[in-house]
Amino acid sequence: MTDTTLQLASSPAAPSRDSQDPVQVRDLTKTYPNGVTALQGVSLAAREGEIFGLLGPNGAGKTTAVGVLTTLVRPTAGEAFVAGRSVAADPLGVRRRIGVVFQDSVLDNEFSGADNLRLHARLFGLRRDVADARIDALLRLMDLDGRADDGVRTYSGGMRRRLEIARAFLAGPRILFLDEPTVGLDPEVRNEIWRLIADLRQREGVTIVLTTHYLEEAELVCDRVGILHGGVLVALDTPRRLVDALGDQIIDVRALGDPAPVATALAQTGVGSHPPLVASGSVSMASNAPSGDLADVLGALAGAHAQVAGTAVRRATLNDVYLHLTGAPAVSTSAPKGDSR
Amino acid sequence: MTATVVDALAPVATTIDGRVPPWHGFGTLWLRRLQVTTKTASGIIGQLMTPVLWILVVGPALADSLGSFSPGVDYYTFIAVGQVAFLIPFTAMFSGINVIVDKEFGVTREMLVAPVRRAMIPLANAAAVLTVTFVQVAILVGLGRLRGAHFHTSLTRLPWFLIATALLCLSVYGLAETLALRIGRQEAYGPLIPAIGVTPYFLSGALYPLSVLPAGLQQLGFLLPWTHAVALMRYGLMDGTNPRLDDIWHLGNDPLMAVLSTAVLAAYAALMLTIAVRTFKRTTLS
Repeated sequence: MTDTTLQLASSPAAPSRDSQDPVQVRDLTKTYPNGVTALQGVSLAAREGEIFGLLGPNGAGKTTAVGVLTTLVRPTAGEAFVAGRSVAADPLGVRRRIGVVFQDSVLDNEFSGADNLRLHARLFGLRRDVADARIDALLRLMDLDGRADDGVRTYSGGMRRRLEIARAFLAGPRILFLDEPTVGLDPEVRNEIWRLIADLRQREGVTIVLTTHYLEEAELVCDRVGILHGGVLVALDTPRRLVDALGDQIIDVRALGDPAPVATALAQTGVGSHPPLVASGSVSMASNAPSGDLADVLGALAGAHAQVAGTAVRRATLNDVYLHLTGAPAVSTSAPKGDSR
Repeated sequence: MTATVVDALAPVATTIDGRVPPWHGFGTLWLRRLQVTTKTASGIIGQLMTPVLWILVVGPALADSLGSFSPGVDYYTFIAVGQVAFLIPFTAMFSGINVIVDKEFGVTREMLVAPVRRAMIPLANAAAVLTVTFVQVAILVGLGRLRGAHFHTSLTRLPWFLIATALLCLSVYGLAETLALRIGRQEAYGPLIPAIGVTPYFLSGALYPLSVLPAGLQQLGFLLPWTHAVALMRYGLMDGTNPRLDDIWHLGNDPLMAVLSTAVLAAYAALMLTIAVRTFKRTTLS
């Protein structure tokens, strides 16, 4: 159905060995005891101060990758360095320098918001005066200062997530890992969360590695993205360059019956930058041809007697890149459950 | 609002210089578990209810109606000390539920990404359970004293009682943490609380001398940490006229037998805590 062998101009390349990048992964493989291989020879690097997005469908290995980088998952082969420390040889050194926001809410329900932060500060060895000052400032920044002493059981989903982000920033991490940070939140709260993360990132100079299903968000906030598919890194570059490598525009054709003849006819037009992609009765094809050539495409389809319900031409997005590479549609509006591996 | 607040973020300064100290986080995790436990007072009270009932009502009633099994033995004091041996394993097993709750609600993961050695998490849990146990035991001993138990102890004998209390608590808690990590579900773990926390108590000599049991059950009793703990507790809190350590060892030398039973308990505690720590590491690092 999907041409997963699509070659983009910006295919992933292994980071150099002497790189000073805060996150470096080389030939990382993870096979779980049940035989499932979640990562296969993945190599990537996140650069100082950037927001790096790891994208991919459920089961692609995103959460496993974050698990390895946060020392929760032991790699089967390969190596990973965070803040210059090996996750295998110096996990404590890694953990001293990272903050993590998990996909599921991870708060101590028996405590207030402020107490959750105090516990975190003590675990990270923050000096009392520094901890108090940062907790106070972060709670106000997250607009939680009025509820700081309330039990987190009474917090809404958005409040819990804001508190978790405050907690992740509390100890001044060099690298922040966000695993699906906006999953399950309504669009308004999601926007607010991204605004807060961007604000803190700028002021604290932290490097961020995140996973998300929301590709429109990834396109907006990520400096670079890596796309995982079946545990393999299939693309790595800036969202803009990945989109440009696919094509300027996407021709969408909705078939009335079998989409195969439509796909064949589209391919024969010769305007596609990549082979057509068939998904759910529709065919889409990336193209660099001027939009004025749409008439030629429609003519070609009519000549091929293809049963067409409708056509559209639009700008290519990261979602199209993702679809061409993984064959799986990304979630754009609903609240997906990320891969649990 | 945002700009001024963020500008006020203090630069990070930590108390960790260079390598993370081996015990870093232990005190914090101990205090956190203690706070969680005290926030659920119903648990602490529930664990105390049965032994308090025995101390205040059942014990005196049995002593009054049955007398003593042996001349020179104050039966009420005998079973008052035995109730301590009931309480300790029950509290330890009950505390395993907190391990499951922490895992279920993801709190454990938050600890796992902190700069704390993995072993500190179960060890701090054990220390917190031990703290709660000592408070509960103090309450029981106090109530027993008020109700008329005749505790005879001294600065040289009391440590045996305290050591037995601590080692029995750590032995059973190590088992509880291991089972809770392995089982992972409250509904499956719950039935084990009475099964493991209470059943061996009846073979420990807490309510009657071991010598009245059939030979096979006596031998089984000697293998249990409960039995050694009860004998040590009586050695520490009761007068020396009827030490139960001899029921186990038959050596006639109280200090020597106390050392031997302490060694057995220490071995159990070390083994169970080691297994708990290893299980914790295995189940939290995939």
